[in-house]
Amino acid sequence: MANWTDCLNFGISIAKQASEVVLSAFQQHKEVKLKSSPADLVTETDQRVEKILISAIRNRYPQHRFIGEESVAAGERLELTDSPTWIIDPIDGTVNFVHRFPFVAISIAFTFNKQIQFGIVYSCVEDKLFYAQRGGGAFLNGEPLYVSGQQDISRCVVVTEIGAERDDVALSTTTSNICRLLKLPVHGVRALGTAAVDMCQVATGGADAYYHIGMHCWDIAASAIIVQEAGGVVMDTDGSEFDMMSRRVIAASSATVADRIAQVIQAFPCCRDDEDNCRCGATGVN
Amino acid sequence: MSRTSGAHTRNTQLCVLLQSDVCLLHVSFPCFYSHQTSEFTLLVSNLNHAVQSGSLVVPQVVLSAFQQHKEVKLKSSPADLVTETDQRVEKILISAIRNRYPQHRFIGEESVAAGERLELTDSPTWIIDPIDGTVNFVHRFPFVAISIAFTFNKQIQFGIVYSCVEDKLFYAQRGGGAFLNGEPLYVSGQQDISRCVVVTEIGAERDDVALSTTTSNICRLLKLPVHGVRALGTAAVDMCQVATGGADAYYHIGMHCWDIAASAIIVQEAGGVVMDTDGSEFDMMSRRVIAASSATVADRIAQVIQAFPCCRDDEDNCRCGATGVN
Repeated sequence: MANWTDCLNFGISIAKQASEVVLSAFQQHKEVKLKSSPADLVTETDQRVEKILISAIRNRYPQHRFIGEESVAAGERLELTDSPTWIIDPIDGTVNFVHRFPFVAISIAFTFNKQIQFGIVYSCVEDKLFYAQRGGGAFLNGEPLYVSGQQDISRCVVVTEIGAERDDVALSTTTSNICRLLKLPVHGVRALGTAAVDMCQVATGGADAYYHIGMHCWDIAASAIIVQEAGGVVMDTDGSEFDMMSRRVIAASSATVADRIAQVIQAFPCCRDDEDNCRCGATGVN
Repeated sequence: MSRTSGAHTRNTQLCVLLQSDVCLLHVSFPCFYSHQTSEFTLLVSNLNHAVQSGSLVVPQVVLSAFQQHKEVKLKSSPADLVTETDQRVEKILISAIRNRYPQHRFIGEESVAAGERLELTDSPTWIIDPIDGTVNFVHRFPFVAISIAFTFNKQIQFGIVYSCVEDKLFYAQRGGGAFLNGEPLYVSGQQDISRCVVVTEIGAERDDVALSTTTSNICRLLKLPVHGVRALGTAAVDMCQVATGGADAYYHIGMHCWDIAASAIIVQEAGGVVMDTDGSEFDMMSRRVIAASSATVADRIAQVIQAFPCCRDDEDNCRCGATGVN
């Protein structure tokens, strides 16, 4: 079986290098463009960081393939094959980045045979490096991570994101999901503004669950394996097996909590990441 | 826990020292209320006290308890939690202040919960939330703050919010600007609601009216549209994000005066605006607040959001967390 530890270590080193670009731009004024909605932003830094990462990886591993948020936005085909593949979100939390709301992450996942082998989420402003390799445990700045193990939904803190969708169906589904969860009740609902960092809160045990509809594979592929290696569970919002291209996820401290959330929340229609003609952010509703 | 950090304002009015085994919150402000310009110094805990009593003092009490298992009690709802650490920290703070300023008065969250009357007078008054974000504290979700505000003639004179896990000390004095770890803070100045990040909290209420109002508020804001909605789990730290410019607005219905009195003056001194959710003047006892980067944004939010009924903090028979709805 191939050992991807060299790739993991390389990924960590380039994530740290790329974070310097992110952090120096963090304090500056940004030119912002809109993608799929008035809340789906992209900056020159997103594009620059992705080019830096891909270039560095390609230089070292010329046979490897890529799925990068900005490359796909520029027209590259999104297709996951059995080849070694790097799935990259250069800046998860671009709205936060534009505003200087201090939660911004570089997310790098690596797959082989379509299976996630390792994941890296570097929350740059906080200087928190989350990472995990299949079978090797999960870590934050070198310290092992464990989910809370919480089984009782009424004692859960749940993290989620409103996301970039602003159409009526998505918004009413999103807010009614939050309402239903609160009535179970749960201890509280939180939102930091980046799917990757949100999901890592489950891995640390600081939160007990995360769910989201409408994000993309690059937002959650890395944090999915981090949660799993911390002892947590990742699944689709309908309770079926996790599928990173489905644009739906529940990550939780236990299967019991994940199942309970799957019973309560509804998903609005969302075309898959690997569907042709599914432009980034398109919900399939408009 | 052993850390050192130091922060000095431009005019060295505030010095915060955290040293191994001892925690000092050393705050000195000009004494405006006595019409003097001489400095007075408040030591929340001094070295001798810490050594003699063997106790660790805020925020070391909070941080050392953060990693431990906590015994939790419920207050007004299944999401309104209190721990022994909340109560212990409040006692430590009040005791230290009373020792130095025996004539001063207090409004503390846990003292009020224990039955003390909540009344704001003209006297120098300390308004204390020993742990804002108790749910976060219980879960180890890393946003937990000690909030201390000081009033004289019912007017907030200064405020301190210490986000312990992040090691971020926010503070401001009336007329003196706002600071984070010694660096000056300025709101974003954003005037356009469609470019705003808005922070809010779901709060502890779980009754139908509160929940449907809360979620419909979020829905209406998103449709304006706004850039995004965030929630860190502590009103004090949420509101300080407006002061840093990282967020453009914060609003909340149902919190208490001790949650927002300190951060209110921090936002104002950073150039922001604080008002009631109906657009009227800010009233810290009303249990409603909008804090924003500009009056334009604050007014826009006031047009959009609705408040569910909430008895005032200074009403008799308004127990902590009672919404007046049940």
